[in-house]
Amino acid sequence: MDVIIQIIASGLTLGAMYAVATIGLSLVYGSLNMLNMAHGALLTLGGYICYATITHLGLHPALALIAAALVCAFAGLIIYVFATLPLLRAENFETNIFIATIGIGAIIENLMLKSFGPYPIPQPLGISGQVVIGNVHIPVQNILILVTALILMAAVAFLLQKTRAGRAIRATAMHREAGQLVGVRVGQVYAQVLALSGALAAVSGVMISSIATLTPVMGGDPMLKAFIVCVVAGLGNVYGAVVAAIALGVLEAATQYVFGVRWSFATLLLIVILVLIWRPYGLFGRQQVVRL
Amino acid sequence: MTEVRRDIIIGLICLLVALLVPVVLGGRYIVTQATVFFVWAIVVVQWNLVLGIGGIFSLAQMALFATGAYATAMLGFYLKVPMLIAIPLGGLITVMASIVIGLACLRLRGPYVALLTLAIAQVMYVLIVNDTACFTNVSGCLPLFGGVRGIGQFGDLGLRALFPSKWYVAHYYVALALLAVALTFSIIVIRGPLGLAFKALRDSPGYALSRGISRFKYQLWIFGVSAFFTGIAGGFYAVHFRVVGPTVFSFSLLLSLIAMIVVGGMGSIWGPLLGAALLMLADEGMKEFSEYRNIGLGLLVTLFVIAWPRGLAGWFERLQTLK
Repeated sequence: MDVIIQIIASGLTLGAMYAVATIGLSLVYGSLNMLNMAHGALLTLGGYICYATITHLGLHPALALIAAALVCAFAGLIIYVFATLPLLRAENFETNIFIATIGIGAIIENLMLKSFGPYPIPQPLGISGQVVIGNVHIPVQNILILVTALILMAAVAFLLQKTRAGRAIRATAMHREAGQLVGVRVGQVYAQVLALSGALAAVSGVMISSIATLTPVMGGDPMLKAFIVCVVAGLGNVYGAVVAAIALGVLEAATQYVFGVRWSFATLLLIVILVLIWRPYGLFGRQQVVRL
Repeated sequence: MTEVRRDIIIGLICLLVALLVPVVLGGRYIVTQATVFFVWAIVVVQWNLVLGIGGIFSLAQMALFATGAYATAMLGFYLKVPMLIAIPLGGLITVMASIVIGLACLRLRGPYVALLTLAIAQVMYVLIVNDTACFTNVSGCLPLFGGVRGIGQFGDLGLRALFPSKWYVAHYYVALALLAVALTFSIIVIRGPLGLAFKALRDSPGYALSRGISRFKYQLWIFGVSAFFTGIAGGFYAVHFRVVGPTVFSFSLLLSLIAMIVVGGMGSIWGPLLGAALLMLADEGMKEFSEYRNIGLGLLVTLFVIAWPRGLAGWFERLQTLK
């Protein structure tokens, strides 16, 4: 029984972190068909900005989190202006933006490496203390992460469902030309989506580094897992991504317990491949009809 | 001048220059660096077949290279297979691995393929690096795949014994021969039925599909055949450096190979080779700025994709149309 509580507790924390990292990716893919390979670098950037503003500027942790989100939102805007916008005008957008964001990610990651060094740094934003359920000790930090993630997800859901900007985003994701015809400013939507995704990446970067440590390459692993979550859910499906993220988080915690940490990623991948053979467009994805 | 004749002439000129390099320049450093260049050029040329011609978003190419290298090393280390047989066998094992990967990935659409192939490469890396259980204890504890340190002592081509002071020149010519064969092979693929099938699929997907050209079938073919020389390049890399370690999975290596393809021109015959040569030269020329190397590579990749998506090969084509 204790084991199950332990697995569910750490699985939910993992899943919540993956979900926040995934929503941004999924939004960007859904509305732009853009696979953002710089997402992991944005996670790292967010984590380091939070660290730097707390230790060097002495900011309150909550303000530092907001500062990190703002900086990464700005980075998302820069990606939009200098990479997405010019590439949207040319052909082969999907291939080209994919390669361009690999380059951008490498630039950001290596800038972090140059400014903060290769050694792991602990994230100062953290709360000590534990909650005991049965015989299981759960750190307050994990609960805080879970709550923050839930609040963020609720906020994103509200934004998408209830606001004008959210409706424009959903319209663009459904059908770009039709959205344009009814007066959606597609360029503006793209900029908003990339900024939002950057901010979400920053928050998840802070969360992940508060459990592990800050390193310049810390973004790679969560990004790959966020991608896997996206793929399982069906690229671009935001709500499916949240469900898949939490399911995969619990699954990862369970495989770590049963087979050991070493095999958790391999097991995850095996399941993903099986899912994709069964449903090539993801669990919640719709088969797209391609017009020739 | 027909295109085929142009390819033959360019190829022969390059070959002639390359044959003379060790005789004229002769320095050990230059010859060794050129040998490494040939290895990466083979990988890049085959990757270009997959990415530029087949339109497959594969990031598994370094994993396939590693498969070839590890297969060769392990055949030599555990089964004492001589390297002359182990390298081609490694190539065949790589082809088999690529067909398994292809069957799992190629039914999916573009971005899904990229993510899955990247994840497969990452899983291989994690499994190799985190393996600490001893598999043999012959000369100290060694995990099955060599763990973090990698596998060594699996023999070589015998050229070191044959030419004790000039073995690096011999390796140079072996690598050059491999590159020449790999390049000829890629030209045949591009100009042959496979290349034509993909050209048809690009020009008019509807018509091509209704004439029975299956994208999945041809993508699996090009993924499989290009894996052979990728694996062989891996095997030669293992023999040349006498050790294979998990560094072949490193991200900066992947980045520099992508940069070679993008700068040279994706999908063209000579572009990737040109890109590889230029970037290797740039690497040499800017040794003192090596800490900024990855930032530079990232900038280069981004800049080229945005401003000149067809790379240097695109520049030459534009020059020709201006004439």
